Amino acid sequence: MRRFRFGAAVLAAALFCVPLAAAPEQAGLCAACHGARGVSAMAEVPSLAGQPETFLTLQMILFRERIRRFEPMNAAMQSMQDAEVEALARFHAALPPPAPGTAPEAERAARGRALSAEHRCGVCHRADYAGQAQVPRLSGQREDYLLHAMRDYRAGRRQGTDTSMQAVLYGLSDRDLADLAHYLATVPLGR
Amino acid sequence: MTPIRLAAAGLVLLSAPAFGQQQVPPWAQGRPDSMAQSTLAPHPPRLTVTPPGDVPMNRLRVPAGFRVAFWAHGMPGARMMALGDQGTVFVGTRVIGRVYAVSEQGGQRSHRILAEGLTQPNGIAFKDGALTVMAINQVLRWDGIEGRLADPGTPADLTAAFNLPPDQHHGWKFTAFGPAGRLYTNIGVPCNICTFDRDRFALIVSFRPDGSDRRIEARGIRNSVGFDWHPTTRELWATNNGRDWAGNDEPHDTLHRIRRSGEDHGFPWCVGMWADPAMERRQCSEFEQPAASLGPHTAPLGMRFYTGTMFPQAYRGAIFVARRGSWNRETKIGYDVVVVKLDAQSNVTAVEPFLTGLLDEQAQQFHGRPVDVLQLRDGSLLVSDEQNGAIYRITYGG
Repeated sequence: MRRFRFGAAVLAAALFCVPLAAAPEQAGLCAACHGARGVSAMAEVPSLAGQPETFLTLQMILFRERIRRFEPMNAAMQSMQDAEVEALARFHAALPPPAPGTAPEAERAARGRALSAEHRCGVCHRADYAGQAQVPRLSGQREDYLLHAMRDYRAGRRQGTDTSMQAVLYGLSDRDLADLAHYLATVPLGR
Repeated sequence: MTPIRLAAAGLVLLSAPAFGQQQVPPWAQGRPDSMAQSTLAPHPPRLTVTPPGDVPMNRLRVPAGFRVAFWAHGMPGARMMALGDQGTVFVGTRVIGRVYAVSEQGGQRSHRILAEGLTQPNGIAFKDGALTVMAINQVLRWDGIEGRLADPGTPADLTAAFNLPPDQHHGWKFTAFGPAGRLYTNIGVPCNICTFDRDRFALIVSFRPDGSDRRIEARGIRNSVGFDWHPTTRELWATNNGRDWAGNDEPHDTLHRIRRSGEDHGFPWCVGMWADPAMERRQCSEFEQPAASLGPHTAPLGMRFYTGTMFPQAYRGAIFVARRGSWNRETKIGYDVVVVKLDAQSNVTAVEPFLTGLLDEQAQQFHGRPVDVLQLRDGSLLVSDEQNGAIYRITYGG
């Protein structure tokens, strides 16, 4: 099923993608799922715009090496050379980050904010959640993707270049993750 | 030529890691509230090829009479090295999951990917024609490897026999064969500072090559990612990484001499005579004392005794130690290779800089991270640089 969807997406990219200014050749392929200018409109697919360049490079390499498993991304990265990966990372890092999502539900956002403070998300992801180096930007990211990613980390299905996220999410409830995602996705840019 | 891909790595990721009740990342445990807003965090790895022109050869410095040359590159994440009978240099990695082999044919040096998709295959050892690779909770052996580098085939899987802990944190291995043919490895502690089963973690252990007969060689060594045996006394010597978040200058990373199998070197309570304030108070004098300090947070990893004759007399029998460099210290330190000199009684007489230049102290920037050293048969010394995926070769005279 996923394979089919990915195939369709590649086709769509080939047919409809408008080449972006100074975009690497493969950026159209990314845009099919991650959205034009790196802002995703697809459920559980992350926005890439404005992510730290190092983070993007590392994740693409982890997909290529099948250390991080998601078949459409493993397939897309399979024959990608390092220089191409780095060009894609540079390109997406330079795009303006997406604006935060809809106005938060106050109670859930407050709970998410408290959880973020308790677990010190802002130390690595920075106080404005813009990320740094190998640590991704959270502000403006899709809420459903943030939840999906945190569930994967908590379940041990995913890890980054170290085990920080698995450890920090250990023991958090489904509701905790949902409220965290809600808060982080809707926190204003440059907070 | 097609590298083999090992699906087993996925299984390790899928199995729930043993994190216990901890709620902070292992690297942040033990961080006092006063340092909660510290921006110190592990440096990101580089997993893409550093173009040869960007490898910082012009920064490297060695003592007078020595020369350092570019030896191999294009191997992202290059860490521990082992030398084959026919001169192949095998190279392990961590996050990128690869094992490389560097070989020379007709005067041309090249590398290939021998294995990939492994979970931190840092431990690399060669004996009797076979390459043993230790990843996290995985032990693989390729027999007759140098005769089939192009198509290494399926390795023997010794994972069940060795039965190593599955913990990811400090679960990466250094491994080497000892003088009596046993296979040694470290079992790091799966936290920064904590109480734990001292028969399971913070150990150096040895096995028969088939994974049987596990023996504790040293206890209370937090995480040793490098050891070697004294060429004449046959005693085991090991580097050790001290814990984080106890301050810029405490504790020190250390070099340990293990005189007798099973000695206790004090973790989690003591590093030398420094008693960890986070732990219950113990008399540090009851533990074995380190042979030398290698500096706070310097991350000393690969170490080897120098047994060659190319280098001057003063270096023979000395220990070269690669220091990967600090992250948990406000002023960076390390990012070099030091030489530890011993007297005839194995007392450390000096710890001196040997390969320097990768740390720009003024700008507080590093340009490379040495992880291992390996002596070639001609007496020259290889140094792996993980951050640049490169290997340097140091020679003397000629």
